[in-house]
Amino acid sequence: MASLTGMRNRLVVAVFVALLATVWSVVPLLAGRSTVDMLVFAALYAIAGLGVAFLLGQCGIVSLAQNVFFGIGAYSTAYGATVLGWPAPASMIMGIVISGAIAAAVGVPVLRLSGYFLALATLALAVIGHVLFLEWDWLTGGTLGIGGIPPLSPLGYRINTPVRFYYFVSPILLVLILIHYNLLRSRTGIAMRAMRDAPSAAAVLGVNIARLKVKVFVSSAILGSFAGSLFAHYVSFVSVDSFGVDRAINFLLIAVLGGARTIAGTVLGALFVTALPNFLSRIGDVHALLFAVLLIVAVIFLPQGFGGAVAQVWRHFGRRPDHAGRVTKGSPP
Amino acid sequence: MSRGQDVFLGIACAAAVATLVSASPIRAQTAQGEPIKIGAVVSLTGPGAGLGQPERNGMLLAEKDVNDKGGVRGRPIKILVEDDGSKADNAKNKAEQLIFDEKVVTILGPSLTASTGAVSAMTNSEGMAELAFTGLGPKIELSYKSLYHLLPPQELNARAMLEYTTKALNSKKIGVLHDTGYGQVVTNALNALKAQYGVEFVAVEKFEVGATDASAQAAKVRAADPDVVFIIATSPVPFRNARQVRISQPIVSAIGSSSYDYVRGMGEFADDIVFPEFLVGEDPLPHQVEFVKKYREAYNALPKNYEAAGWDAVHIIAKAVETAGPDAKREEIAKALRGPYAGVFAAYNFAADDMTGIQLSSYVYSKLVKGAFIRLPFVAK
Amino acid sequence: MTMTLFLQSILAGLTNGFVYGLIGLGIAVVFRGARIINAMQGDFALLGSVVAYVVSTRLGVPMLPAFLTGVLAGGVLGLLVERLLIRPTEKRAGTEDSYLLVTLGGAFAVSAAVLLYFGRDSYVLNGIGGDASVDVLDAAIRVHAVWLIVISSVVVLALKLFYGHTRVGQAMLAASIDVDGSLTIGINVPLMRTLTFVTGGLMGGLAGVLVAPLINIHYEMGLLLTLKGFAAAILGGLISPVGAMFGGVLLGLVESLAVASVSSGYKDVITMVILILIMILMPQGLLGRRGRQGG
Repeated sequence: MASLTGMRNRLVVAVFVALLATVWSVVPLLAGRSTVDMLVFAALYAIAGLGVAFLLGQCGIVSLAQNVFFGIGAYSTAYGATVLGWPAPASMIMGIVISGAIAAAVGVPVLRLSGYFLALATLALAVIGHVLFLEWDWLTGGTLGIGGIPPLSPLGYRINTPVRFYYFVSPILLVLILIHYNLLRSRTGIAMRAMRDAPSAAAVLGVNIARLKVKVFVSSAILGSFAGSLFAHYVSFVSVDSFGVDRAINFLLIAVLGGARTIAGTVLGALFVTALPNFLSRIGDVHALLFAVLLIVAVIFLPQGFGGAVAQVWRHFGRRPDHAGRVTKGSPP
Repeated sequence: MSRGQDVFLGIACAAAVATLVSASPIRAQTAQGEPIKIGAVVSLTGPGAGLGQPERNGMLLAEKDVNDKGGVRGRPIKILVEDDGSKADNAKNKAEQLIFDEKVVTILGPSLTASTGAVSAMTNSEGMAELAFTGLGPKIELSYKSLYHLLPPQELNARAMLEYTTKALNSKKIGVLHDTGYGQVVTNALNALKAQYGVEFVAVEKFEVGATDASAQAAKVRAADPDVVFIIATSPVPFRNARQVRISQPIVSAIGSSSYDYVRGMGEFADDIVFPEFLVGEDPLPHQVEFVKKYREAYNALPKNYEAAGWDAVHIIAKAVETAGPDAKREEIAKALRGPYAGVFAAYNFAADDMTGIQLSSYVYSKLVKGAFIRLPFVAK
Repeated sequence: MTMTLFLQSILAGLTNGFVYGLIGLGIAVVFRGARIINAMQGDFALLGSVVAYVVSTRLGVPMLPAFLTGVLAGGVLGLLVERLLIRPTEKRAGTEDSYLLVTLGGAFAVSAAVLLYFGRDSYVLNGIGGDASVDVLDAAIRVHAVWLIVISSVVVLALKLFYGHTRVGQAMLAASIDVDGSLTIGINVPLMRTLTFVTGGLMGGLAGVLVAPLINIHYEMGLLLTLKGFAAAILGGLISPVGAMFGGVLLGLVESLAVASVSSGYKDVITMVILILIMILMPQGLLGRRGRQGG
């Protein structure tokens, strides 16, 4: 009996996944170019938001500094491509290394703080980063920015249209999500949750909390930098205005709206934050107010974020009988 | 259906058509036919709204003007205005929409340099003409074939300020208070010109674009004891702060600061400030009179520089499409633009290296005296 | 640095500092009473100033009643926020982040509403004494700024008395520290929470009418003020209105002196670094009291 139901569940999952995959692959053919463009931005911001979500959901750390790493990745790519003439992967790696190093260096003293102090410290970092982007205009071009960043061309195939970039970045996002999903189930994931929920117990059991926090912060920064590099290749132009505190708030919105404890929810959060204002702007001047109201409604009615809501639905359908024939709740989120 | 019903239906249709045709205005000059779509991406919200909204007003007024005079080769033009919210990513997205989904003939705007960077990368790769409401931007633009600017490069703005300071005020010691955005770009240009004009910048202080207070910076400028103070910002805050910390020297500003909103924001300190700009609504030059009159009738307010730029943009592109033909290829339209044009805002020459061709002589100097602008007789050469 | 420059920096720093402190005050009040970080505090100020502006310029009401109307408007908004945003979130078991996000949404909403109804221009609210300034040696400070400092100090002391020595104030504190205990002794906990938000709103409205004459009312000013106020409140240990005021003044002075002595471009970098250092080295916040709520 149990195996038949198990097979049915697997079938449901398979059909669902197949449906999702079909929709995903067909969207660019049906939607206008600007819609695909917007989906690409959503994917890029989702990658950066993933870093923030992971940090928040698994370690309980509110980070408002993701815009700095996003910017470092973008400027590394811009500088590497236009001034140094390096191939794209080299510049990208440079950005990742710099971001990781800064995250580690800053993380060690700052992550010792907790709660609101830590949030404020990350905000302070966001401000510092933004000012340095402005001041060091020999490196970043300041307000004028750096233009002429070439599109990515793996093996000579130029990814210079929204549709091509869409097919390029979506699998990357998927892979990153799967990596984090696995991380959640690993020993490190358990250690992180212990650190978040019961720090003293975790410490007693030998979890090196300080080190773990720094590691997660660094990996979050790496994600931000990677997303920034892709962003630079996509827009082909970077300027300081894209890397300010409002960007940091956007990433945090994506993380929280997506439901920081689920990973896939980040995608929904990114769609909300990117696609919704875009659609609403067609309504006219009232669109900013409408977005704020929808945000409030989403937060109130979905306290676990979009991901949490999806997880609840999933659990509801995932009920399966145990060996004694009693119906139990399905798999954990 | 019976024959009788067919006939009845036919007569009814004919009657309906006849009514519709007779109901539409019979003015032979009015443009009719499939509208020629022109795209515009400007900042209607966000920090750039002070630029984008006047530009939109000017463009829409010009659209009506062009259509009332018969349109382009008999067809009306239609300007599709999109807001980039002062962000480059949005500008790119809106431009994608206009170019590929709406299939516009050309793009007007954006209002900000960063957005122009994002949009021009696209229009350039599509060979589409673009008339940006910004000055010359980063070096990459020099390789673009169809981008034209309607505002002077910051180097020219800097020159205009220095011309007035050295020739009309006979001063060489200058203190500068500027913001980190537009102000920084102009200041960089000023620094590059200081040897040529023989001036000394005894203090250069900056504040962030959205800052609520710049008193400390203003105090530092005052402490350096300059003869003239340059304030370059897109907000009234530094002007107030400067006078409040007792800076009594004459102030020279730049084109981005002369809007009436800022004047209101300056309160009683809207006095003794000189602007090198292009249009003084209270006292327009002869070739600007008609535009000012039309603008006043339509909006019941005085236009200034950005409205005039919007007006010019639409007329310039209308003329180019008229010359090249509405079904001309993009490269032909871009080519048709590449020449001189005497606009309301300034005398352009789009064949010039800086993609604008504005000369110092196009500048009109105005002085803010007790909250009202008067036109100064000074002319730079 | 000349004496004049130093003096002017101090005056500018004090003025800005009390502005930040006023906002931080509101954040501390709300946190003290409800354990919620109110991301809307700056927008309470925005609303208060907008109402005062409309009432005084479009309805011709004289300055003092217009100011009071602005303050009351802040209180009303506080009430609405508690009813429409906080309670529903609480009912649906919101997390800490939910409250932050819902007030952030509220901040966006107020800002967008002001943009919609008043446009993107900045508006000038007349201050006490208009644009007049007082000369201190060769430096100057606006008359209105002096009043701001005086009124803020009075309000801070009044709050201290309120929380420390009145029944209502103590009840509000008790309701936030120990809900069950308070219910047991008959304190109407939901009402106390509402009062907290109303008080926070009143503080915000007050901040708005006092600050607006100095910085011009603009639809985007809310979030910027909130960030600075947040820093001020954190520096003060987050639960103490007096601490928030101290934190704000420290922040303002550091900013001004950084500009005057080092460089205006790096002002924010210096300020933020000092902020981080203070947090790392002084975990009790500025006033070093036990029970700080920063972490």
